[in-house]
Amino acid sequence: MRKGAVLAAAVLFLTVALVGRAVGQPKTIRALPPPNVSGARFSPQQVAAGRYLVILGDCMPCHTVTGGAAFAGGRPIPTPFGPLVSANITPDRETGLGGWSSDDFYRALHEGKSRKVGNLYPAFPYIHYTKVSRADVDAIYAYLQTIPAVTSDPKRDQLPFPYRIRQLMAVWNWLFFEPGAYDPDPNRSAEWNRGAYLVQGLGHCGDCHTPRNVLGGAERRKRFRGGAFPGWFAPDLTDNRSVGLGSWSDAELLEFFRTGRNVRTAATGEMGEVVAYSTSQMTDGDLRAIITYLRSLPASPEATVSLPGREAMAAGEAIYRDQCSACHRMDGSGVRRLFPPLAGNANLQQANPRTVARLVLVGAQTMPTDPRPTAFTMPAYAWKLSDRQIADVLTYARNSWGNRAAAVSAEDVAKLRRQLKPRAAIAPVPRGSMLHPAPGTLAKPGTDSRDNGTAHAGRAAAPEADRNPRNTTGPPGNMDLPKHKPHRHEAQGPG
Amino acid sequence: MPEGPTHSTVPTPGTAVPGRVVAGSEPWQPGAAAPEIASSAGGYVFFKPAEAAFVEAAVARLIPADELGGGAIEADVPLFIDRQLNGDFGNATRWYMQGPWGEPTKTQGYQTRLTPAQFYRAAIQAIDAVSTRMHGQAFAALNGDRQDDFLRVLESGAIALDGVDGQAFFGLLLQNTIEGFFCDPVHGGNKDMIGWKLIGFPGARYEQRFFLKAFNQPFPLPPVGIAGRREWSR
Ligand code: HEC
Ligand code: HEC
Ligand code: HEC
Repeated sequence: MRKGAVLAAAVLFLTVALVGRAVGQPKTIRALPPPNVSGARFSPQQVAAGRYLVILGDCMPCHTVTGGAAFAGGRPIPTPFGPLVSANITPDRETGLGGWSSDDFYRALHEGKSRKVGNLYPAFPYIHYTKVSRADVDAIYAYLQTIPAVTSDPKRDQLPFPYRIRQLMAVWNWLFFEPGAYDPDPNRSAEWNRGAYLVQGLGHCGDCHTPRNVLGGAERRKRFRGGAFPGWFAPDLTDNRSVGLGSWSDAELLEFFRTGRNVRTAATGEMGEVVAYSTSQMTDGDLRAIITYLRSLPASPEATVSLPGREAMAAGEAIYRDQCSACHRMDGSGVRRLFPPLAGNANLQQANPRTVARLVLVGAQTMPTDPRPTAFTMPAYAWKLSDRQIADVLTYARNSWGNRAAAVSAEDVAKLRRQLKPRAAIAPVPRGSMLHPAPGTLAKPGTDSRDNGTAHAGRAAAPEADRNPRNTTGPPGNMDLPKHKPHRHEAQGPG
Repeated sequence: MPEGPTHSTVPTPGTAVPGRVVAGSEPWQPGAAAPEIASSAGGYVFFKPAEAAFVEAAVARLIPADELGGGAIEADVPLFIDRQLNGDFGNATRWYMQGPWGEPTKTQGYQTRLTPAQFYRAAIQAIDAVSTRMHGQAFAALNGDRQDDFLRVLESGAIALDGVDGQAFFGLLLQNTIEGFFCDPVHGGNKDMIGWKLIGFPGARYEQRFFLKAFNQPFPLPPVGIAGRREWSR
């Protein structure tokens, strides 16, 4: 194929490769299903190792729908062209991986090739899983082959033509995919190498945290400098002190991975899921290895930003004081481990403000974990703040209390609003919806409901004055006032 | 961990008694909110001209403009009442409106078979009928003193109106006038936060800790409504 044609075909895949993950955050964290190791096929040790590797790889949330059977697939991953749906990876013969050999399974993780459907889409992070050792993949296979088989055949190919032609992914792979297991760096410590293996491989952190080029391939030179995907921006993880992890201590990082929060921030949405299903269940040794590796990422260059406009800052300050200070405090200092401080907040100062604009538009709930079981909520502002106002309040917060970042544009917020389609979830009460608690006793139209439950029930409403003593207040006093008349209006109640 | 709220027994620091952790959270959905529906701009939608004339005249007697500033008219109270009567309140949407219809006690609140919208319509018609019979003019056309006298008698219950309880109507009108004077401006009344400025209420604010130690100093921030204040926009 000529290079031009290759590029044209690749452009086709641009958006498919750029997909984010499903936006639905699970309500609760579920345990991995217990394996059945009674057969002689796999050793209990191998199965147990595989279970832990599945945690390291965060396989569960992508392959499970809320309320559905674990690993039975069906979770839709929205793309601009339709949903990409995850597969059933339980050992069911017909619909899952029951008929797969360990070689078939290795090919899926290592090469992105499915025994069932051919080329897989990179929404399944095989470009990272390719780094995983054969022994580890075999252990994952052992675990997945011993969990309960579930018959579930989610309709996977829902993309319209031509995006549904899987063979074309070969072109994308040729351009952007480097298959190959992790190659340890002999000049680095064992701990560093373990961290690199986890972050680049099973942890697939770069899937979100590394920027992509226009064709959806990872920008290798900008590794871990922060990446955008629909609805979110995963922040810079390099040693940069303002937007990266440069000013976080090791203890703060460890606390974040274990509990989902620390004195600097709180995990929500996509990262909340990573913490809940993966990092919070990792061993301390592996977390320390990840931290050692992250510490070695050279700081991304400081961005040059121009000063924000004075009107934006003035409007932003007014909004911040009136709307945000209750939780984040007037001086941006927040409340420890409840409401993140905005002063010095790295997530807030990312070059791309998508995540924080999202939080202001639709709100957020902190992911609860065992050590921090309470989920705090940030309210949604889409219904009361305009795009311009959201841009201004973020511009203010990004440039106050020592923070410095580019102004946010109302156009960016508008685009995100169109994508997230926030709606008021509480429907207005329909007119006249207050139902009688006991409809059987309800008076018929034109009858007097005071008779309900008596022998006179159903009698036509009598207009005599004495039927409603409330209105018989006589006309005393010296004013020449008319005598009380029958109450026609009162007989026409809303019932 | 199981689905749904999780319970586990963990030792509470500093005590020998194990505490119970109840995990789980309120149901939460991105973007969910119970928005205040801002009252629409423009002229009256519920009141007919004669009714609007009565309400404008009556609320101007209840909260008149004086040396302290504007009154109910300046605060757009009639507009507030108009929008309320046109909406859920006026239609008693959220109220139980069936019988039995016994004699209510004082603490039972609103007790008629009419929705507030029907109640206003009927009462205003009846009041103007009485006024015309007594003075040859509708209430709105009376001079201020006469209007005050009329309202006083209405309040005392000494007046019998055709088909409605005049005293109850006076109570409702006064209540709605006060509401319209001090409500959040998103509902159409309290225009320019005139009521809040009068009493120094800072509005829908949540953060006072910052000012707690600033004794004997005026609260420095201007009042703010649910829909904001002018300074939010450039
Ligand atoms: C980011 C979401 C995501 C994660 C994390 C993920 N998967 Fe998947 N997986 C998918 C999607 C989506 C597909 C379907 C891709 C397609 O149809 O091209 C898939 C397909 C597969 C397949 C191919 C099945 C078939 O029938 O073709 C296997 C095997 C698989 N995943 C195993 C795993 C394992 C093991 C892990 C953890 C180490 C994992 N996945 C983690 C999203 C994910
Ligand atoms: C599915 C996408 C995704 C994956 C995979 C992912 N992250 Fe994140 N991460 C995010 C997003 C989005 C945020 C910002 C939102 C938040 O803080 O909750 C974030 C935030 C973070 C933060 C907080 C940074 C800050 O400045 O507040 C750290 C640290 C982090 N991720 C580390 C990791 C590591 C390590 C991995 C791999 C084990 C990983 N992430 C995998 C999406 C992801
Ligand atoms: C009721 C309390 C509350 C209010 C009011 C509130 N927030 Fe938040 N905010 C939170 C919570 C809780 C979080 C953590 C959510 C999460 O897990 O990421 C948060 C997170 C944030 C973050 C991300 C911080 C980080 O570390 O990733 C930003 C930025 C932010 N809020 C800005 C605002 C702005 C701007 C406003 C006003 C328009 C506002 N907040 C109003 C509670 C609140």
